[in-house]
Amino acid sequence: MTDADEATSRGEPTDNDGDTSVVTTTGLTKEYGGRPIFEGVDLDIAPGAMTAVIGPNGIGKTTLLKTLLGHVDPTAGTVTYTGPDVDRPMGYLPQEPAFRPQFTVSETVDFYASLVDAAVDTEELLCEVNLYEARNRRVSALSGGMRRLLAVGQAVLGTPPVVCCDEPASGLDPSMARRVFESLAGRAADGMAVVVASHTLSLVETYADHVVILESGGVAAAGSPTELIERYDAADLWAVYDAVIDPAAGTTPPDEPTAADPQAGDEPATTVGAPRRGDDSSAERDAAASDAISDSGGQP
Amino acid sequence: MNSLSIVTTLIGRELRTAARTRSYYLLGLAVGGILLGLTFGGGGAATGYIPTVVDLLLPLEVLVPIVAVAIGYRAIPSDLDRGEVAMLDTYAVSPATYVGAVYLGRAAVLSAIVGVALLVVGLVVALVAAPDTGVFATHSGVDSPILFGRFLVVTLVFGNALVAVVLLASIVVSTARTAIVAAIAAVLVVVVGGEAAIVLGVLDGVFTETTLQLALGFIPNSAYRGLVFETVIGVLSAGESGYASPLVSAVGLLLWTGGSLGAAAGLLRWRVG
Repeated sequence: MTDADEATSRGEPTDNDGDTSVVTTTGLTKEYGGRPIFEGVDLDIAPGAMTAVIGPNGIGKTTLLKTLLGHVDPTAGTVTYTGPDVDRPMGYLPQEPAFRPQFTVSETVDFYASLVDAAVDTEELLCEVNLYEARNRRVSALSGGMRRLLAVGQAVLGTPPVVCCDEPASGLDPSMARRVFESLAGRAADGMAVVVASHTLSLVETYADHVVILESGGVAAAGSPTELIERYDAADLWAVYDAVIDPAAGTTPPDEPTAADPQAGDEPATTVGAPRRGDDSSAERDAAASDAISDSGGQP
Repeated sequence: MNSLSIVTTLIGRELRTAARTRSYYLLGLAVGGILLGLTFGGGGAATGYIPTVVDLLLPLEVLVPIVAVAIGYRAIPSDLDRGEVAMLDTYAVSPATYVGAVYLGRAAVLSAIVGVALLVVGLVVALVAAPDTGVFATHSGVDSPILFGRFLVVTLVFGNALVAVVLLASIVVSTARTAIVAAIAAVLVVVVGGEAAIVLGVLDGVFTETTLQLALGFIPNSAYRGLVFETVIGVLSAGESGYASPLVSAVGLLLWTGGSLGAAAGLLRWRVG
């Protein structure tokens, strides 16, 4: 049996033993063709919190999310789901979501809703993702941003204990991007463990409870946005990002945890208080980051 | 959610997708037009069901694979490209369930297109065939709509085996754009390549009469032709057709269907993770 084989399957809950995390990764490593994508990633994904994974393009954010979902087998390490035994333990918003163009928005949501046991209020869900007015429009007639909103609705259908969102704000206008993060933060407040991979740092700083910064090799830093900003004596999460990803260009981090010592900065996610408002001045930088080449997750 | 309701939901999605795809209606009209043209052009319509079957057998060996490719090649690759297979995976929809449901939905579409076209042909024969030639009988049997019904069923079994092959081939490649190439190549290999291999085997003396009949039963086109000869045309012709027994041919087509779907489910499980 390989290490990868030891990874706990999704949907097979294990004893929680009082641990507050709903998903735990231990020594998670992924290689493609001998090239390491990330190594030794230890994460505790807490329920009732939004955990944001940030990092440069191609660093492995998408691969990490897919590994959590069980869509990618780790080269080594384990992913353990310890949440409730439900028919849909994890929801997923892919990086470039799309749906069958022949169906309307309502029909698409109804289709996915019919695959879960829980009763779904389709209209309420469409209102939540701001698609109620477009409910009778064919998917083929939706903009890319509206398709992403539809995918957000799909991801949280049936209220899975964990939802993994890959670039939930990509392609959305600033107000809609904020609305999506607000919606996901609301889900987190209701007890869902929300994991987002995102380049929209102002929204991450505002809404995430726990931030994991991936750098070549693994977790370079982790903590709540406030903790990270204090730790790096930075003005905002952007400055932290600069300091961690490109120390020569920004603030010099004190005692920066490294990929070789990922545990040092990998504190379990914890729920924090009311969401903090982001700095509007960072919107342009977020847009620049969002427009960058999509993270392929390191896949060839 | 139990597996049956998931499968039903997924099949319904395939059928609604097909019902809203205009090109499938055009495909149906084209197939119907071609079959009717061949029926009238070959003279089968005026003489009865069996002559019509003889007229249509060879064209259908070409037409049915084309229909199978047309309705099957995009189904799964498009869902993969859109990320819907990955999304569905979070709903406890296993690759096997998904592949099975897509297959059943697409098989129903092929059955509707080819089946309706053949029903129309049968209806035309019933109305047009001259009274004096409408009943074509030998010591072995008599021409009848039942034989034409058998022909229809055998044709659908053949077509739906090819749909399974097309689904498998479409998953092998990485995108919907390349899926059509893979699907056409797979059908050519299975349909043309299989018979070519048998011809070469015969020329090289590899096959005995028994093993040749067995081999013919495991090539989709040969199995289809064998089933038509043995269960439809053979009723009115003396002597052996030289094809495999109906049982072997039927098993051959079912193995192509089941084997392709099993391999497709395994391949999809590997691709999704």
